[in-house]
Amino acid sequence: MKIEINNLTKDYHGNTVLNLVSDSNPLVFESGMIHGIIGPNGSGKTTLMKIIAGIISQTNGTVLYDGDRLNSKLRKKITYSSHQPTLFSRSVYNNIAYPLKIRNISKKEIHKIVSNLLVEFDLYNIRNHDAKKLSGGESQKTALARALSFSPKVLCLDEPTANIDPKSVQLIESALLKRQKNDNLSIIIITHNLSQALRLCSKITFLNQSRFIYTGSPEDLINSSDPFIQDFISYNCL
Amino acid sequence: MNYIINGFLEAFNLLFSLDPEIIQIVFLSLFVSFSSTIIATIIGIPFGIFLGINNFKGKRIVSRFLYTFMSFPPVIIGLFTALLLARSGPFGQFKLMYTPTAMIIAQTLLVTPIIIGILFNHASSNGIEIVVTGKTLGANKKDILILLILELKSAIMIAIITGFGRAISEVGAVMIVGGNIKGFTRVMTTFIAMNNNMGEYSISIAMGIILLFISFITNSILYHFIIGDTYEN
Repeated sequence: MKIEINNLTKDYHGNTVLNLVSDSNPLVFESGMIHGIIGPNGSGKTTLMKIIAGIISQTNGTVLYDGDRLNSKLRKKITYSSHQPTLFSRSVYNNIAYPLKIRNISKKEIHKIVSNLLVEFDLYNIRNHDAKKLSGGESQKTALARALSFSPKVLCLDEPTANIDPKSVQLIESALLKRQKNDNLSIIIITHNLSQALRLCSKITFLNQSRFIYTGSPEDLINSSDPFIQDFISYNCL
Repeated sequence: MNYIINGFLEAFNLLFSLDPEIIQIVFLSLFVSFSSTIIATIIGIPFGIFLGINNFKGKRIVSRFLYTFMSFPPVIIGLFTALLLARSGPFGQFKLMYTPTAMIIAQTLLVTPIIIGILFNHASSNGIEIVVTGKTLGANKKDILILLILELKSAIMIAIITGFGRAISEVGAVMIVGGNIKGFTRVMTTFIAMNNNMGEYSISIAMGIILLFISFITNSILYHFIIGDTYEN
């Protein structure tokens, strides 16, 4: 699903926390691509992500999904997962099965989908554990498996691999690349890890002080002469 | 000291003699407290969740009023209910004063803010995240309501048990609106207060033991289903 953002602003308690008003082209997240959003803390990344996911509404501007404004039908195709996910007070299995149950999918089909995800995300051995008692990494993998269970068209991820071990990072990245290639899934990912952005993303948007100052290929980002971007890159390379 | 020991011995005799008056008082107490808790639950749970998960102007003031109402003195509630139900009051035509219905109304007014307050508190801290997560997974309004009830079930249980505990142990309001009429509006707490004033300690102790036993049972249920699980794991 292609997402097009035009002159978006978000005010919160009188302060502008996001200002993507631009005279140039709209910010576009292409269909079937992994698009990274990077930038320092407080630059408006999460606010932008939440607006795209339909969690909060913008003050001004438009967000178009394949040319349409957000509606209840489109909302069912977009999902969001953060590095501090809210898991439900039930087993890992039932957390992953939740989106399928509310879509009235048969028990047999649910079992098949959930079992595959449990194996893929290395969660099979803890499938009956209470999701509220999982470690940070296990919680993030469960939340991501749950988000992918109903095959959304757009997946918004806010630092999905923050504070988790390298093996799990690799597992999550492989799962994302597989979904992007096989299912044409559009993925928007916020990350502070520049090397991860370079590994996964075909396009990167750099936000600073509530504005986007760069959007383009990862290679061009590295070669950018913008001092903010250079500063960000230098800290990532340390 | 002897009167206390004798009081306990007589109390156990009374308990096992199954006095019809005591049985009637116990059942009326349970009926009034269960009825008021059920009504307060029906009103309080949706209202508490609704206030908790929605952000609106004046939410902070609403929460302050709620917490004040949670600790409202029962005699004030009793007085307020009596003023409403008295013959010359706005609802005097219904002739509810000194009836079990009046006692249920007073206890409902007492318990409802407690249930709303507990649910409001839990829904404010956890409910918004649950709603957002449900929405991002494609849940509709009905799915989110079911999800909220399931996710807040511990808070709901705590609210109900706390409300029931407040209702069954309350004496001021039911004394004012019920009048402690023998065989009609006399409940355990008013019975204990009356007999204590008359120096009938044994019967007060017997009723006190029954009240404690009911309290123990309700708290055991709470411990077993909610708190016990948390500690044991």
